[in-house]
Amino acid sequence: MLEYAWLIPVFPFVAFLLISLLPKRTLSWEDGAGYAIGGAAGALILSALVIGDVLAGNTMVGDGPKFTWLVVADIEVTFGIWIDQLTAIMLVVVAIVGTLVVIYSGGYMHEEAERRRRYYAEIMLFISVMYGLVISDNYLQMFIFWELVGLCSYLLIGFWYEKPSAASAAKRAFIVTRVGDIMFMAGIIILFKYVGSLDFANLFGDEGVAAVPNDMMILATALIFGGAIGKSAQFPLHEWLPDAMEGPTTVSALIHAATMVKAGVYLTARSYPLLVQAPDTLLFVAVIGGVTALIAATVALVATDIKRVLAYSTISQLGYMTLALGAGGYLVVYADSAGGYSAALFHLMNHAFFKALLFLCAGSVIHAVGTNDMRMMGGLGKKMKITSLTMLVGAIAISGVPPFSGFWSKDEVLAAVYSAGEFNSLFLLLWIMGIATAFMTAFYMFRMWFMTFAGEPRSDYHAHESPKLMTVPLMILAALAMTSGFVLFIGDGFGAFSGDSISELFHGGHHESAADILSHIFGDPLTYVSLVLAVMGILLAYRMYYVPGFDRSVFARGLSGRLQKALENRWYISRFYDDFAVKVVYGFSLVADAFDRYVIDGIVNGFAFLGARSGNVIRRTQTGNVQRYTSLIVVGLCLLLIFMLYIVPWGGW
Amino acid sequence: MEIWNVLDEFLPQLLLVLFALIMPALDYFFKDKRVLAFAALAPLVAYALALVSWTIGGYWEPAISEPRIGLLEVNLFSGVFALAFVAVGIIVVLSSPEFIKAERNQGEYYALLLLAITGMTVVALATDLIVLFVGLEVAGIASFALSGFSKREKRSAEAATKYFIVGGFSSALTLFAISLFYGVSGTTEIAAMGPQMDAMFADVDGTHSVAVLATVMLIAGLGFKIAAVPFHMWAPDVYEGAPTPVSGLLAAASKKMGFAALFKIFLLGLVVVKADWDVAIGIIAILTMTVGNLVAVVQTNIKRMLAYSSIAQAGYILMVLPIGTEYAVAGGLFHVLTHAFMKSGAFMVVAALAVRGVGESIDDFKGLGKRSPFLALAMTLFLFSLAGIPPLAGFASKFVLFSSAVDASIAPGGQSWLLWLAVAGVLNSALSLYYYARVVKRMYMEKGSDERIAIPKMTGVAILFALVMTILLGVYFDAVLELCQEAAGSLLQSVP
Repeated sequence: MLEYAWLIPVFPFVAFLLISLLPKRTLSWEDGAGYAIGGAAGALILSALVIGDVLAGNTMVGDGPKFTWLVVADIEVTFGIWIDQLTAIMLVVVAIVGTLVVIYSGGYMHEEAERRRRYYAEIMLFISVMYGLVISDNYLQMFIFWELVGLCSYLLIGFWYEKPSAASAAKRAFIVTRVGDIMFMAGIIILFKYVGSLDFANLFGDEGVAAVPNDMMILATALIFGGAIGKSAQFPLHEWLPDAMEGPTTVSALIHAATMVKAGVYLTARSYPLLVQAPDTLLFVAVIGGVTALIAATVALVATDIKRVLAYSTISQLGYMTLALGAGGYLVVYADSAGGYSAALFHLMNHAFFKALLFLCAGSVIHAVGTNDMRMMGGLGKKMKITSLTMLVGAIAISGVPPFSGFWSKDEVLAAVYSAGEFNSLFLLLWIMGIATAFMTAFYMFRMWFMTFAGEPRSDYHAHESPKLMTVPLMILAALAMTSGFVLFIGDGFGAFSGDSISELFHGGHHESAADILSHIFGDPLTYVSLVLAVMGILLAYRMYYVPGFDRSVFARGLSGRLQKALENRWYISRFYDDFAVKVVYGFSLVADAFDRYVIDGIVNGFAFLGARSGNVIRRTQTGNVQRYTSLIVVGLCLLLIFMLYIVPWGGW
Repeated sequence: MEIWNVLDEFLPQLLLVLFALIMPALDYFFKDKRVLAFAALAPLVAYALALVSWTIGGYWEPAISEPRIGLLEVNLFSGVFALAFVAVGIIVVLSSPEFIKAERNQGEYYALLLLAITGMTVVALATDLIVLFVGLEVAGIASFALSGFSKREKRSAEAATKYFIVGGFSSALTLFAISLFYGVSGTTEIAAMGPQMDAMFADVDGTHSVAVLATVMLIAGLGFKIAAVPFHMWAPDVYEGAPTPVSGLLAAASKKMGFAALFKIFLLGLVVVKADWDVAIGIIAILTMTVGNLVAVVQTNIKRMLAYSSIAQAGYILMVLPIGTEYAVAGGLFHVLTHAFMKSGAFMVVAALAVRGVGESIDDFKGLGKRSPFLALAMTLFLFSLAGIPPLAGFASKFVLFSSAVDASIAPGGQSWLLWLAVAGVLNSALSLYYYARVVKRMYMEKGSDERIAIPKMTGVAILFALVMTILLGVYFDAVLELCQEAAGSLLQSVP
């Protein structure tokens, strides 16, 4: 089955072609939603077969079918597929969330009329290239798809391009992630210089790893992680993600919560065989992850736009995953365990489900109320039972209350970070940041839920529950958010399964029974620290936003007032970029512009002038007079004869 | 089963001639003139299928070893050329019925078309100078008549007259060259010329000068066919005046016939005097691409622009002769193939528009992106391919051509001046992008009439075919290059 995995992206791509090329009248229902669902479902079924094969223990790493695209000297550019446990986990996420979001769109995008066709075409293109990204077997192919998902993200953020804020958000996302992309590209160029190939099979093997000198390995891996910083919205390149919320909510759920932003985490996980050679990079990865998790969570505390709360929450959770990957690398190197790596992937999968759920619930709310501002909402619980309940499930899951999925993976992440503290005490500091983030996460999630669904309406609206097409995907995702954590206990357990994809890097790989895992988790006092903090967060939100009569203005004075202001301004990071862009970059651009205008254009125009001028001069010989043509042939013939008889024997070339 | 060995000997040509002969009869019996086109397609498609299943599919091999009519030889080299000619033939025939709808004597039109293709394939197959010359003449005379086919149009008649006069002059030069070669070598068999000349040079005084004179005349005579500077003057006038599908035939196929002859004669027969002609042809190559591109920049008529562009493209292919390595010949063959599709495709877009009453001025292309998205997209891809933008076919073949020049210049014992061919080629490609992109800008960025254009059906199919091939040849770069290298090998292996 695995050798047919390349067909997975083909399904959505065909749907993309059909939707964009077929005459409008043949698109029928919802301008192509039928084709879109068909394409997504086809890919889902095929992914399920491939995942089943991987679960049965088969992988295809470096021995899959290859398509040679280009041969330059002894360099081959090939396209191929690479299926291991890591790929399978990504396939689960993309297939399930992708299909559900497309179904949900059938209801959500109903009012978009003319634009629906563009929407479905772009969404299908995105799903197709996202699949392409996760099954790539070399960095170049991955980079191509990496850029393509970036393009789709740009197109879909700017879906309502006539709105200036959407157009500029799209540009911003594109440009900021491009900073990361350049680093990614620089990283793979360094690897190519030393290894002479970009295939994972060659790079990750012993010979490939040995070919790169140590300091260059640190640089290359750090640069590749730079790509992840951009794509996965890590500090300091994280500010594009909240702005990206200008796109339709379905897009936020699919691209900016569940799949594309995970590509950075995926890239880091995929590069593990290289990263473990460079512990310095691992530390860098962990610090970036920890800082991102904390900073983003603080901003989410005060955000009032429901989608921005979720966006900051996404950044914060992505930080968790990055942190776990950094710590996990230390565990692989020093403790011979894949615990951190598995924790990151476990959280990646769980997060995809509950965050997609939260976004789609938010979409359902926005659909009903017509605003993103939570200060205008309130009291929706009674009118939108399914939405409020499913969103509650999502909020509980992300807050880390057992037995919902978020609890298990967050606990694993924090446990991994704590145990890495044994090898570098910096991880203890990062663990504290993680614990603090867990508290804040519980607080801001329930703050959001109470502000939206509890109390009385704070503005005039006539909300109603969304159609079945939207609520059914919500219920499926809610069920997944409740239960996806239990994969920890199925079979050999998620830990052993995901660890297999880096099995050559460590020798541990102990397979624990369900009872062992449970006693492991609940026998650890640290579990209760994070649990108590989560519950405290929920209770605090309950006290502040549910029980009437709480005076929140106490926070608006003194030091806390200044802090709140800083948070509301997103730690001034966004403003810093704007100022930086305006003063420094613009200044530099002016110089570059002048250079371009006078020097480069001068040269180009000079040539163009010369070209057109000489073109005109030569054209004048073209008189249309046939006698002239034949005599010119004779002249040419004579010149050639003179040249070949007298000049060639004399010349010394 | 030898009877099925359809590529053997002269059979495909006989088939083409047979169909050419019955065309006027079909014209008499059928009111619907599309029948003629389909009848003309039959032998072409059959030949194409046979060629494809041999060269690309490798399903069977024609009897290469023992050519029974000693003057023609079926090998991969001739196969690739024949493939290019037949493919262009199919594209031209497909887009003809709609274009010449109003003309009389359509039977003769298709008959002449088939005869022209026959002549071209004979040139590709010939192993003897006389047979080669006969092929040149068959194709030449048929195309003189074809370019004057729109009798009521002054332009067309003028084009035919000019083409005929210059063509006759060039034929005379070619024939004169052949007889001089016979004088210095005593043979007309191309592969035997070299050794024979070597023998003569030792015995007879002054033979060398005669050989040089003959070489110069041959360059002039065949330079006319490929429209190399300074023998190119006729081309823009004729391409502009001839019915557009015929212009496509001339630019994409007739010109390639010149290359088939040049490759054979210069790389096989005249390789012993290579030191005499390589620099001269190198200079002609650079001149041809530079003049073609420079003058194309200032054109306002799309057909003239395409004419100059194909002059420039001939300059690129001409590089092959001075370089002379197998890789270079493979690049030349590759470019012959890709150019056949992208150039004929571009001409057919012009033809399709002409059928719908859109003019030939570049300004008439304004707003085409809105008026006919398919034609505009096809034109864009053809032009970008001509400019050499990846992943289209034109990039791949140009890449091989230019890199063969670089390889040959840095190879041990190679001639360093060959590098300048690559430099000139790259600079010229950059220059050419200017006028190609200008057309694209007209189509997409400038506003024109809002009226939609319905695509003529058969011409649309022809364009689609050319478009698919332009993309496929670029994507399957590797496989095509491999074929071309084998074909180049089959030419060069008989070098004495």
